Amino acid sequence: MLQGDGLSRLWLLMHATLVVVSCFTDTDSGPGAGGSSTQPNGDRFKIEGRAIVPGIKTQDWVSTARVLVEGEEYVGFLRTDGSFAVNDVPSGSYVVEVVTPTYRFEPVRVDITSKGKMRARLVNYIKTSEVIRQPYPLQIRSTGPHSYFMKRETWGWTDFLMNPMVMMMVLPLLIIVLLPKVVNTNDPEMRKEMEQSMNMLNPNPELPDVSELMTKLFSGSKGSSKAGSSSKGSRPAAKRR
Amino acid sequence: MGKLILLLLNLIVLYNIVAAVFEDQVGKFDWRQQYVGKVRFSHFDTHMQSSKKVLLATESNVFAAINTRTGDLFWRHVDKTGPEGNIDAVLHHGQDAVLVVGNGRVLRSWDISVGGLNWEIVLDSGSFRSACLVGQQGTVKHAAVLKKSVISLHYLSNGHQKWVENLPESETVNYQAVHSDGNGQVYALGVVSHSHIAVVAYSAEDGEIIKQVSVEAPWLSNIPASCAVVGQGMLTCVDSTTMSIYTLDLYQQLQMIQIPLQSLGLEVDPGFQPHLVSHQPHPARQPLSEFLLQLGPDHHLLLQLNNGQIVILRDFKPALLVSFATTGEKTVAAVMSPKNKTACGINLFSAESGRRLLDTTLIFTVDPNAGKPERLHVQAFLKKDDSVGYRVMVQSEDHALTFIQQPGRVMWTREEALSDVVTMEMVDLPLTGTQAELEGEFGKKADGLMSMVLKRLSSQLIMLQTWVAHLWKLFYDARKPRSQVKNDVSIENLSRDEFNLQKMMVMVTSSGKLFGIDSKTGSILWKHYLDNIPSNAAFNLMVQRTTAHFPHPPQCTLLIKDKDSGLAALHVFNPIFGRKSQVAPPALSQPILQSLLLPLMDQDYAKVLLLVDDQYKVSAFPSTKNVLQQLQETAASIFFYLVDSSQGRLSGYRLRTDLSTEQVWEVVIPVEVQNIVSVKGKRPNEHVHSQGRVMGDRSVLYKYLNPSLLAVVTESTDLHQERSFIGILLIDGVTGRIIHEAVQRKARGPVHVVHSENWVVYEYWSTKSRRNEFSVIELYEGMELYNSTVFSSLDRPHAPQVLQQSYIFPSSISTMEATLTEKGITSRHLLIGLPSGGILSLPKMFLDPRRPEIVSEQSREENLIPYAPELIIRTEWFINYNQTVSRVRGIYTAPSGLESTCLVVAYGLDIYQTRVYPSKQFDVLKDDYDYMLISSVLFALFFATMISKRLAEVKLLNRAWR
Repeated sequence: MLQGDGLSRLWLLMHATLVVVSCFTDTDSGPGAGGSSTQPNGDRFKIEGRAIVPGIKTQDWVSTARVLVEGEEYVGFLRTDGSFAVNDVPSGSYVVEVVTPTYRFEPVRVDITSKGKMRARLVNYIKTSEVIRQPYPLQIRSTGPHSYFMKRETWGWTDFLMNPMVMMMVLPLLIIVLLPKVVNTNDPEMRKEMEQSMNMLNPNPELPDVSELMTKLFSGSKGSSKAGSSSKGSRPAAKRR
Repeated sequence: MGKLILLLLNLIVLYNIVAAVFEDQVGKFDWRQQYVGKVRFSHFDTHMQSSKKVLLATESNVFAAINTRTGDLFWRHVDKTGPEGNIDAVLHHGQDAVLVVGNGRVLRSWDISVGGLNWEIVLDSGSFRSACLVGQQGTVKHAAVLKKSVISLHYLSNGHQKWVENLPESETVNYQAVHSDGNGQVYALGVVSHSHIAVVAYSAEDGEIIKQVSVEAPWLSNIPASCAVVGQGMLTCVDSTTMSIYTLDLYQQLQMIQIPLQSLGLEVDPGFQPHLVSHQPHPARQPLSEFLLQLGPDHHLLLQLNNGQIVILRDFKPALLVSFATTGEKTVAAVMSPKNKTACGINLFSAESGRRLLDTTLIFTVDPNAGKPERLHVQAFLKKDDSVGYRVMVQSEDHALTFIQQPGRVMWTREEALSDVVTMEMVDLPLTGTQAELEGEFGKKADGLMSMVLKRLSSQLIMLQTWVAHLWKLFYDARKPRSQVKNDVSIENLSRDEFNLQKMMVMVTSSGKLFGIDSKTGSILWKHYLDNIPSNAAFNLMVQRTTAHFPHPPQCTLLIKDKDSGLAALHVFNPIFGRKSQVAPPALSQPILQSLLLPLMDQDYAKVLLLVDDQYKVSAFPSTKNVLQQLQETAASIFFYLVDSSQGRLSGYRLRTDLSTEQVWEVVIPVEVQNIVSVKGKRPNEHVHSQGRVMGDRSVLYKYLNPSLLAVVTESTDLHQERSFIGILLIDGVTGRIIHEAVQRKARGPVHVVHSENWVVYEYWSTKSRRNEFSVIELYEGMELYNSTVFSSLDRPHAPQVLQQSYIFPSSISTMEATLTEKGITSRHLLIGLPSGGILSLPKMFLDPRRPEIVSEQSREENLIPYAPELIIRTEWFINYNQTVSRVRGIYTAPSGLESTCLVVAYGLDIYQTRVYPSKQFDVLKDDYDYMLISSVLFALFFATMISKRLAEVKLLNRAWR
């Protein structure tokens, strides 16, 4: 009994007081955690290429640019003419990217065989074995500046007027105000014609009007006794006839 | 087709959901600070008289040019971390700077005016020893690189090798220095330890050995430490054991001439290694015949070598730092000598005569909270009257750079310690005096109606007064031009803003310097340098008392632990002012394994810190009677865990009432197969607002919200790409029960994990498809909640439902963190630091294991995005637009007073602070809210009613007359 009591108290306290603090011992990097596992005596190769930003002088952007191979595993810098070389890369398959804060470049996958043969192809992360050849040495052309910002929704008169709600309000208003002035309603012929067209619009005069229907519905729900009495009242009238 | 349209529609919807930065918000509430790291080499650009550049090469493998007027970066190149990007030497000549990188692996030449690369070549392997510029007939066209067994000469114009020669007897001779002084010869200087010096003279033209001599020098072991070439090829060395200066003529190489220091009337301070500094103003000319000799920590001498005789030109004592500088034909020595405790004086002395130059005194104030000055970098220039003027960049122990102009005006300061932030916390700012007064009114006990009313009136009056003062200030500022209005932030006027958006960032750097930074402006409000920090220290920063408990001051505790010995020390300080607290921390004599901050508080509202030592004994700080009593009461429910990654052991412990511990569970992961890489719990200040998710059919799927769940990540020891794997274990921290286990085959690290609410997101490298992949695990209790009032690890009979899904991510990542808000109502985003420097804000919505492959009515109702294997990176989602953050190491998120807003700090080489709105700003008016429109519409309507009323009246009147 006592034990059970203690246990329940324990449960109650459980939710708040268990403290899980990340451990202070060296869990951050184990000895095998490093990603770079290169063969000790494998040959090292060089990835070469050129980055071009059309219409911009290279001096204006190369100082902020870098060439990243597979994340930051290998890093290259751009020469003042836009060409680059990433040295000391072992054989394998790598995604080569030119990064600048201002211009966008498409990444390229470069395969290096163990003999040092190179080929470049489009990056396709889904079908990784698909080969669409790209020129090597790489020719990476910028696809324009990065778009970092959203457009603000600006307010203008045209936006306001083109709003469907506003259009729905304004157009009938125009019809109501302008139509009587355009069409001479005093002309009896015209009136006749209009009446005809109104009839055309409402092809089935037998069909109950929507507004009528609504009023019926609401009045019906309000008091069925009233409706009943009215129907009683009409029946004898029919008999009389 | 219909599906495609649906997808598009969905995308449009998402596009609207995801908040991006608007262009006019740039710099409004975000800031970035760029750093370079601890300076190893610095060169002032003397190419042009008007140049404002100083080139810095740092220990963080960064090469940068800094504007000497403002301290801002012109350009910066960030190389790989680690030894492969290490900058070994910088040779600066004219427009070019040649860097030797990666232990002599790569030679790079930079154009310093635009910051572009001129050329880069790979050198043969061999460890790097020394490099120098080689000039001939007054022009410098080559650079010589000395390695362990070869010496090579390269053209400065294109890096091509002119010649490469093997060094003779390189197995026995340790070549350490290379020297050239424009006479067409390159000297390689080597030493056989405690035996002799080997001097090899090469012809700069074709690499032919002209001369090769070895000279007895049994006292010498390290040439760069004790020797320098002075004057006409005189190799001059100083030795502390024989108390002598030795000179050797490199041109003749007859014998070492010994000049005892005693004959000059000099003496080396006991235990001090004397040091020589020479100066070569131009690489194509001979070094000066004057040189500096350091005999003690504060004793320097300016000496002259004249026909084999040494003349003392000037004795500087006390002098902390001495440095040469040249402008035009004049060379000066700048000497820093202590004046009093807080100031140092710097003076210029003519190098030729040792005379003090007039009007060259400069005062450098030493901040008591900063490190001591360590190095002087002097920029000398000729004034109009042909006298020498100078500016000086002082580098201190705490990596700070201070640039000073005469007569002591600090032009800028760069706190390079901030390039290596280890950990940080954000602390709420204190209330202002009036706010505190108001708070105090509610806190105190009632003492009668009348006095309460009076108190209320007085506090209202004070508020009115401050409001009027505020209005007056606004009015006063409005009259001044905008540029003059400065909102000076200082510690005195710091106070919490109405939405608690402005906080104090407490940053701990690896150098042991602590910073308090205002999160709104980024200005450093206080700094405190802790000396005697071991070089491999680990830091853990904890907020023991927040600012909420007025009048008790807030309190932070920093645990500093030596990683080798495990011994730790505590530093207790006030996070708002940076001052050391009066509270004496306990002395920790045993190595500390684990520290825990309990939610328990002592009578002064300080949270209790528990420290577990290697004997599994627990000590508490503060350890008052009250605390110990509370601990005894709650001991049965205090659990903690320890990780021993070297033995693969994860063990859970429980606290006993006598503050000893008891092992409750243990999980052993065989270290031969896999290593524990990281263990992640949930953040203690995280709130989860909704207990479940509403499904398409209006039923509720309850989340499994175990506050003590641990996510353990393991990596296989076998790194072969076919056999490597990573594993993830979800373990209950109280019972040790393994809730879930997942293994990702053909995958390897580095693994980045985020663990929050009921989900774990991790990222790894798939070796099979050579791409980065994200995987998300979500845990659900099911359609019914077992115990809705409280979660207990001991009483959860049903295992949670586990859902998992994986995605392709088209980039590698540096770090990852989730947004955090006050109450957890706002949807979550993942903040992902990319190697390109962008910080991507990815909605958690995309990482949802319930994303359906086939869209159904229900999934649409639930607003689930159809599954797509690849996650996209949109640059609109970069919260830092073009303000890239290099080498992001951590992202810190903190809630603000607004539920919609999360404060974000990304730190690495740079620091970037901003705010994010994961669900847009739903609780405040947007900053582009059109007040003009709404008020003009209101006014227009008002006038329209007035006018129409008048018209109606007129019409009625007219009708009445009819």
